[in-house]
Amino acid sequence: MEIKYTLQGLLIYIAMGGYLSAFMTTAAGWKRTGRVLFFFGFLTSCFSYGYRWYDAGHVPLQNLFEVFLCLGMIYPFSLFCRRVLRVGGVLGDMFLGAVVLFPAGFIFNAEPQHLPPALQSRLFVPHVTVYVLSYLFMAKGSFQAVMQLTGREYKTEDGLLRPEEATYRMIRVGFVLLTLGLILGSWWGKLAWGDYWGWDPKEIWSLASWLVYVGYFHFRYMFGKRHARINSIWVIAGMAVIIITLLWVNLSRLFSGLHSYAV
Amino acid sequence: MIVLLIFLSIYGAFVGAARAKSFFNSLPLTVYWLVFLFTLAAGLGAFVRLVREPGLLFMHLGVIVVLLGGMAGSERGHEIQRRFLGIDKIQSGSMVIGEGESENLITSDKYGAMWKLPFSIKLKDFRMEYYKPDYLRVQTRSGVGWKIPVEAGVEYSLGEDIGELRIVRAFENFKITIEGDKRIAVDDQREGVNPAVQVEIRHRDGVITSEYVFERFPSRPGPEDKFLLTYRRIIRDYISDLEVIRDGKVVAEKSIEVNKPLHFGGYHFYQSSYDAEAGQYTVLSVTSDTGLRFVYSGYLMLCGGVIWHFWLREILTKRKLRRAERNNGN
Repeated sequence: MEIKYTLQGLLIYIAMGGYLSAFMTTAAGWKRTGRVLFFFGFLTSCFSYGYRWYDAGHVPLQNLFEVFLCLGMIYPFSLFCRRVLRVGGVLGDMFLGAVVLFPAGFIFNAEPQHLPPALQSRLFVPHVTVYVLSYLFMAKGSFQAVMQLTGREYKTEDGLLRPEEATYRMIRVGFVLLTLGLILGSWWGKLAWGDYWGWDPKEIWSLASWLVYVGYFHFRYMFGKRHARINSIWVIAGMAVIIITLLWVNLSRLFSGLHSYAV
Repeated sequence: MIVLLIFLSIYGAFVGAARAKSFFNSLPLTVYWLVFLFTLAAGLGAFVRLVREPGLLFMHLGVIVVLLGGMAGSERGHEIQRRFLGIDKIQSGSMVIGEGESENLITSDKYGAMWKLPFSIKLKDFRMEYYKPDYLRVQTRSGVGWKIPVEAGVEYSLGEDIGELRIVRAFENFKITIEGDKRIAVDDQREGVNPAVQVEIRHRDGVITSEYVFERFPSRPGPEDKFLLTYRRIIRDYISDLEVIRDGKVVAEKSIEVNKPLHFGGYHFYQSSYDAEAGQYTVLSVTSDTGLRFVYSGYLMLCGGVIWHFWLREILTKRKLRRAERNNGN
């Protein structure tokens, strides 16, 4: 863990500060100030991402540092979930913004790298982008699942969905993106490495996470009404597998494979 | 079936790609895949909802088609097609082709033999491209480091403890010639690759030293050295200019690189490796395209199915409801 004494690092820390202050002020009941600070955190996060793009000379989605930097621009996602999908949890989004920027600010190496030949593909940006977005939906879905399991609910006057339904809606949206990510990755694998399925650890973990959500949909349809709490356990298990896919596979030597460059 | 596949996948992720591949292609797992296929097909027959709702139908059909394509394209699939359908193709292998030479033999460890293609591949030229500028890395014992662009004349301060560094000259192919009793460094334009950089260091005490830093022969720091110099070029691309020759005629041409393979005669040819010493030959990996159309069609069906079922269906239903409400209001 190290502090980044660079402009990039400074922008990340300011964005994190914005998100954390938004979280605290909203939790204290000053919702308007909280929203302004949330938007400020988002703007700084955008500057940070834009600066990285300029510095690296390519769309910054190459490694975990850049992916987490991208995940930090969470405000429009939160707004979309609330306004369009009727799923609450803005307070959680504010905290999530700071949490995802933490590894970018303190853990991952920020030195810009050239794109290796395999990443110079028109599928690079869509593949990573849909995965990043799907992970956000799945994370928010898991947050709703935890709310359901712990019995916490929103005030219904906002017209927001209750946690179990909100979880289902989040997973429905995220699952489509997860499927697109898996298929785009497979297509890209065929073009770059010669096979649409190479049994690489990252590929298999991605398949496992996709299958957990497939299991969730089947379980919810068959037994979901009688065992609503188990629906949420499927979703949380799916998130655990996503975390392994995103982090453990790249950081652990246990899973060396074709995706090792993404550290 | 789904839960079992989740656990099998997790097991596969722990054993590494090669073992996972042979595990998922083993006979017991082939039986599992067949049962899985049968269950999916039986599910379509048993649950009317799966057939009535287009999203669900396409999702399940998509998975069936992907699995069928995968089975057809597997080694066992190729074997069955060879035995029963007379389709004689190799599933995968590799070719080594020298510059200016033609080759029609695919080597495969799995088959322990050479496989002859009905056409030849000629390598017209192989080249590598590098990101510019190259960089020289300076790493001190205290952990401080610099990345200096390799451009003749560039000067760089390495702090008060060390002094200043100047890039004197960069070589693509460093060689030493002897003229009289003098050794002279030259950049040889003929065959061979030996990238190097000549640097000059003005130390704090005013002493100027000169040294060569080689990409291929990195130096090791001595006990007295305050810093280590390394020179590494970053590869941007590998390119093989290929010609496909059949009956003595050129029938196709393509410059292949990573992400841009050649597709010809039922095979894909990929840029896989190269001659790291002199860049005189290329290594292509060759993969059969059997079953690929099924797999891609299955992907399209699966994508269409999930988008329709999870996104569009609800949006269109909501629109219909809103329209109906508006009409009722009027």
